[in-house]
Amino acid sequence: MFSERVFVLKSVRLLFTKSARARFVSHLDINRFMTRIVRKAKLDIWYTEGFNPHPYITFALPLPLGFEGKYEIMDIRINDDNAPLGEIVDKLNSVCPPDIRFFDAVEPIKKVGEIGYATYDIVFDDNGNVAQKLKEFIGKDKIVTKKRTKKGDYKEIDIKEKIKAFDIGVVGNETKLSLVLPAGSDDNINPALLIDSFYNDFNDEYYCYTVTRTSILDKNMEKFI
Amino acid sequence: MDNKRFEQLLLSVQKPGRYSGGEINSVVKDKKDIDVRFAFCFPDNYEVGMSHLGMKILYSQFNERKDIWCERVFAPWPDFEAVMRQNNILLFGLESREPIKDFDFIGFTLQYELSYSNILNMLELSGLPLLAKDRKDFTPLVVAGGPCTCNAEPIADFVDIFFLGEGEQSDLEVIDLYKKCKKNGKSKKDFLIEASKIEGVYVPSLYDVSYNDDGTIEKITPKENAPMPIRKRIETDLDKTYYPEKFVVPYIEIVHDRAVQEIFRGCIRGCRFCQAGFIYRPVREKSVETICRQAKAICESTGYDEISLSSLSTSDYTKLEPLLNDLLDFTEKDKISLSLPSLRIDNFSDELLEKINHVRKSGLTFAVEAGTQRLRNVINKNITEEEIIRTCKTAFAGGYTAVKLYFMMGLPTETYDDIKGIADLAQKIVDTFYEMPNKPKGKSVSVNISVSNFVPKPFTPFEFHPQITREEIVAKQQYLKECIRSRKITFNYHENKTSFLEGVFARGDRRLSAVILKAHEKGCKFDSWDEYFDLDKWNEAFAECGIVPEFYANRERTYEEINPWDHLDYCVSKGFLIKENEQAKLAVTTPNCRQKCASCGANVFGKGVCFEKR
Ligand code: SF4
Repeated sequence: MFSERVFVLKSVRLLFTKSARARFVSHLDINRFMTRIVRKAKLDIWYTEGFNPHPYITFALPLPLGFEGKYEIMDIRINDDNAPLGEIVDKLNSVCPPDIRFFDAVEPIKKVGEIGYATYDIVFDDNGNVAQKLKEFIGKDKIVTKKRTKKGDYKEIDIKEKIKAFDIGVVGNETKLSLVLPAGSDDNINPALLIDSFYNDFNDEYYCYTVTRTSILDKNMEKFI
Repeated sequence: MDNKRFEQLLLSVQKPGRYSGGEINSVVKDKKDIDVRFAFCFPDNYEVGMSHLGMKILYSQFNERKDIWCERVFAPWPDFEAVMRQNNILLFGLESREPIKDFDFIGFTLQYELSYSNILNMLELSGLPLLAKDRKDFTPLVVAGGPCTCNAEPIADFVDIFFLGEGEQSDLEVIDLYKKCKKNGKSKKDFLIEASKIEGVYVPSLYDVSYNDDGTIEKITPKENAPMPIRKRIETDLDKTYYPEKFVVPYIEIVHDRAVQEIFRGCIRGCRFCQAGFIYRPVREKSVETICRQAKAICESTGYDEISLSSLSTSDYTKLEPLLNDLLDFTEKDKISLSLPSLRIDNFSDELLEKINHVRKSGLTFAVEAGTQRLRNVINKNITEEEIIRTCKTAFAGGYTAVKLYFMMGLPTETYDDIKGIADLAQKIVDTFYEMPNKPKGKSVSVNISVSNFVPKPFTPFEFHPQITREEIVAKQQYLKECIRSRKITFNYHENKTSFLEGVFARGDRRLSAVILKAHEKGCKFDSWDEYFDLDKWNEAFAECGIVPEFYANRERTYEEINPWDHLDYCVSKGFLIKENEQAKLAVTTPNCRQKCASCGANVFGKGVCFEKR
């Protein structure tokens, strides 16, 4: 007499970049922005139940305000499990401002809890002036600085031992520092801590820099996907 | 300043999203294709300005034209202002990040008098001379529109052109004239004289004002054949009036973060204290079809999940029930919540309440305005206590338990009995709740009284009345507090030092330009923000300019006196205002426009409620 339609929710992992003016959008604001974008794109997305339903969206790893992101991850659930994933990317890009671009949609393989590291590029607009100092600074045995704890007070940590890998190079007028730092719910080191303590040491001119989070890795240093 | 350095500086201030731009639907154009660059300036911060509907309309309307690029500019918050001054950053358009001093037009919207000091600060941050007469170059032209232009005389010395009334057409006509004059090598002066002939355009420098010995105005004299009086402009057919399909959607949270759909302009009520009720006459409605089409388009282009209807009195929309039905059809499907502000209670039907209930259950808010029937008659707020109680009963039965009541203090003829009436009414509502057999179970009622200070405004029947002094306000607030007996009743008020200044500007004249300039030099800005308002500095500025502010705020004006705004024609005649004021003194009400035309003068436009069948 009637056919019953079974809804199978499909999880979709969306990858996007956040650059230029979108650097100034905080994590909280990105969250609100994305709920509007998925509505605007008319995705058949799953809404939370309850009095005030809203699109179900989660983010793998918040990006600090001011950073660019080349590998940002957001998970949604869609109602139609046959929807071609590529189409979702196109739909989203057609309604997104130019500084936020989606580049892939996949079925999630790893769980967010498996995130272990993130990679960063920090580019100084310095005519190559900081490269040498930076090498000396990172070459030190210990880089002790204060980190804010979840409770709101500060504790001393040695960032040096947290740095999983680094590289310093000069490209044109700029010095680029690449870093691998712990990320995720267990241990999370913001590279700004390192830069701040570098500038504390480096009593010279202040050069502008931009931080880009280039990738997110799992605990085995493999790409998180 | 290069972009990298600029962005690094942005990261050092609070909420850099206020200045970064790049939001959904913000418009970036190629300068090569543009003839006219327009800086739309809101003289308050981003969160306040971005919530404003007029800005959204004009921003989209300008940008729809290929030859115009309109950008947004807000008053930088003091932390960023300091960074700008330290680093010589000139005030810029959010879209291009280029200094607005290089634009053709700098347009301010005047929503409240207390934003005047911010206008000066923004002009200074742009690197421009503040006084119009010192800006010798043709561009940028400083123009202003919005409700306060019905008496923006206090800032007349700083502005080249005011737009009176609704700017949708006069703005574009001025821009077209500007393009023509520019091409033909005309001077700024010639352009301004030409512009003054466009309906709704007021060029303050083309009028001389002289004064009597007692400080009142002797004469307002037009020069260069400028029109006298200058009549406001309105849109006569709202179904044909431009309405944007897109709003810029901010990243950061703003005051009103939702889609807004205008349903009509003007108000039939004629509450005698309410400037908006007079300056936006006559009432003109949009059709149900237009509203639904526009509302849908906005929700789709923004991704907003909330839409609110905008008007001065939602429940006076003639086809409210069909409208709500049609709107709910798509909002429910698309999981959009519909909010209906400014509902009046005297025509609140059970069916309507049911529908709103269906939408959302929040508190009930009633603008009662005055505590006794006598005073409500004086102000022509035609609500009876019986109606209020009845509506509350219906609402309580429907599950509501919170009631918010808005009142004003300092209304003409107000006595302490009227103040006590506020507390009495709130108490009656509390009692009503407890007497109801079918009240919501296990819940208690809360009645919140919110009292603002009445400020007499131009183009209202109360434009002749003195504003009450701060001392009187404090005494009345204290008395009201003493009259409240129940713990279910809360009373919200703030000392409100600002309403005095608001009152001075509202009915001020050009001589106040000197005071505003002085106050600006002393650092006054963001006067509508308690944390920045500094009455002492303003008092110094008044004193140094030899001006007694009470002359503007606290003085009774005769009907014969020439008011600073008397050369502006908002199509409500002075004779009508005088008649209304006399009726007020007798506590006699005037029927609303739909019941009976009171011959205010607004029928000259040949459209709107004046021509509805009664
Ligand atoms: S002319 Fe009459 S109907 Fe028209 S706005 Fe005035 S009072 Fe109302």
